[in-house]
Amino acid sequence: MAPTDRPTPTAGAPLLMARNLHRLLGEAELATHILKGVNLAIGRREYVSIVGASGSGKSTLLYLLGGLDRPSREDADGVPFEPPSAVFIDGRDTYDLGDAELALLRNEKCGFVFQFHYLLKEFTAQENVALPMLKLGRLSRSEAMDRAASLLGQLGLESKLRRRANRLSGGEQQRVAIARAMANQPAVLLADEPTGNLDKANGERVADLLDQIAAAGQTIVMVTHDAHLAQRAERMITMEDGLIVEDRRLRQSAMAAAGPSA
Amino acid sequence: MVWHVSMRYFLAHKRQSLVCIAGVTISVTMYVAMSALMAGFSDKFIIETVESSGHISIGDEPRESRTPILEQAFPDPDALRALVGSKPRDQVKKIKNPDGVLGKLRRLPGVIAAAPEVTGQAIVSYGTKEMSLSIIGVEPEAQTRVTTIGQNIIEGDFSRLRATADGLVIGRGVSLVLGARLDDVVTLVSPNGGRTTARVIGVFETGVTPVDYSRAYMLINNAQTLLDRKNVINRITIRTDDYNKAEEYARQIESIVGYKTESWQESNSNFLKIFRVQEVITTVITGSLLVVAAFGVLNILIMAVLERINDIAILRSFGLSRLDITRIYLIQGLVIGLVGAVGGLACGKALVEGLRRLPIPVEGLVKTEGLLMSEHPHHYYMAFISAMVVVALAAMYPARRAAGYDPVEVIRGAH
Repeated sequence: MAPTDRPTPTAGAPLLMARNLHRLLGEAELATHILKGVNLAIGRREYVSIVGASGSGKSTLLYLLGGLDRPSREDADGVPFEPPSAVFIDGRDTYDLGDAELALLRNEKCGFVFQFHYLLKEFTAQENVALPMLKLGRLSRSEAMDRAASLLGQLGLESKLRRRANRLSGGEQQRVAIARAMANQPAVLLADEPTGNLDKANGERVADLLDQIAAAGQTIVMVTHDAHLAQRAERMITMEDGLIVEDRRLRQSAMAAAGPSA
Repeated sequence: MVWHVSMRYFLAHKRQSLVCIAGVTISVTMYVAMSALMAGFSDKFIIETVESSGHISIGDEPRESRTPILEQAFPDPDALRALVGSKPRDQVKKIKNPDGVLGKLRRLPGVIAAAPEVTGQAIVSYGTKEMSLSIIGVEPEAQTRVTTIGQNIIEGDFSRLRATADGLVIGRGVSLVLGARLDDVVTLVSPNGGRTTARVIGVFETGVTPVDYSRAYMLINNAQTLLDRKNVINRITIRTDDYNKAEEYARQIESIVGYKTESWQESNSNFLKIFRVQEVITTVITGSLLVVAAFGVLNILIMAVLERINDIAILRSFGLSRLDITRIYLIQGLVIGLVGAVGGLACGKALVEGLRRLPIPVEGLVKTEGLLMSEHPHHYYMAFISAMVVVALAAMYPARRAAGYDPVEVIRGAH
């Protein structure tokens, strides 16, 4: 399949959209062109996997889609990209947002899961999950802690609520990280190699968990090297050298199949 | 939430945080104690000087010397002027119409009392001992209204000056140097050749060494005779309602009476400069301690940032802004500053009270039986505010550094 150079059509307004997305790292002659004009649209309730070789730009794309990074608007010679390189999260151009606004957007709309867990070790599992809720400020501390306990309970961690993050196993830590990513009921869950650092059993468990979350209607964008895990998504995007070379629908969304009433 | 994260990080490094707090505490303690000590001596000197010498003194000549008549007639600076065979006029310096001046002064707002004086130098001898003295001829009743000399008497009675024809009240230092005690008779010789004997009827002690070792009081008529200044008043000492306003009052009085009028601040400007230098030295020393403590804070917070780069990235990923990250580390610095400063104020107060009780006799510019500690609220405010500002500045660098990390670079493993 030829590289796609226009947004993939999705029904309704896309939740995430990349338009002529470029990302350069470094400056001047040392700049590396990581993303070279990606166009992509991800709708609500989609379960998307992004695959590709190391250095293909898939993690960079994920961070840009989640507002953790901003697009480059000019090439190494200072020539602006046309049309302007941009990412839209729920219709908002991340490039135009100030740091605090972008942080708030991440807090409300995005939940990140990383390969190496990245839990705060001074905090208990329950506190780790409660922190994004406390930051958002819509729940009181006790409500946030109750919701954190409930989320962890759903992930089979009800007995580990008060355990310090660094005293949990790798699989448990990743499940806590998923619970934390889900804490504010985000519009999209962005997972970067979520099983990459886990043994097979724990990896399988996390994969099942993501399937369940997706089946419940959660939009998920997942970067992975694991072909088996990637095949579990409904749509698989393949990247190569900073471009999308394949965008394939593997199956119909469970929610879409169930119809609008679902 | 930011506060919660900040405190959790702060408590994670209890030992290092305590060391930093101790640094701030020590510097604040030293500032409070040293400031109280320095202020103790300067306050004692100022109060005793002001009380024993009056708030304002009017001299017997104008501040600017009068322009000679020839210069008035030919003001051109390049003009050649010569007076041949001129003889300096034998002019007695004095305050003209002293009663009129005193009457005017006593009616001025802010002036509590004014006393006439005649002053001059004399050599006093007792047995084989002799020394130079500042003789102050006074009216005892008026003098006790402008100074506290009557209350500084440790032997004898100041009011006996009026009743004793040849009475002399000397400072304790003069008494010690001469070996003259109460009722001893000393000999006084003035530079004009005037000579008289006087009976020691009182010994005073102000605690200010230069005063106690150089001054003697006698009845104004006797002093005028000794100094060969019959009916001359060459100084008027004034007490005001507020010695802090003495400079302002002195300017007003000078413009009214036309004679050089010095406030106690002007008369003691050299000493006041020394105290100011002392104050600067104290501030520099204690400030250096604070800077060292601030480097401790800087160091521990940089370590805390470096240890938690991954945490910073994850906090950013779930919605904390750069400002939130800055706050997390700034709060830690401010808590160190706050706890250290409050502890320092308490320790400083305790040290001041402890030093105050130490029986260490001191005899220098002032004489005391122990260390003089003078507490001023501004010492405490200054110590607290300086500690908070310096520690906040020290915390700012690591806080900004923490906020500056790019979460994507951290997650990619660039840091």
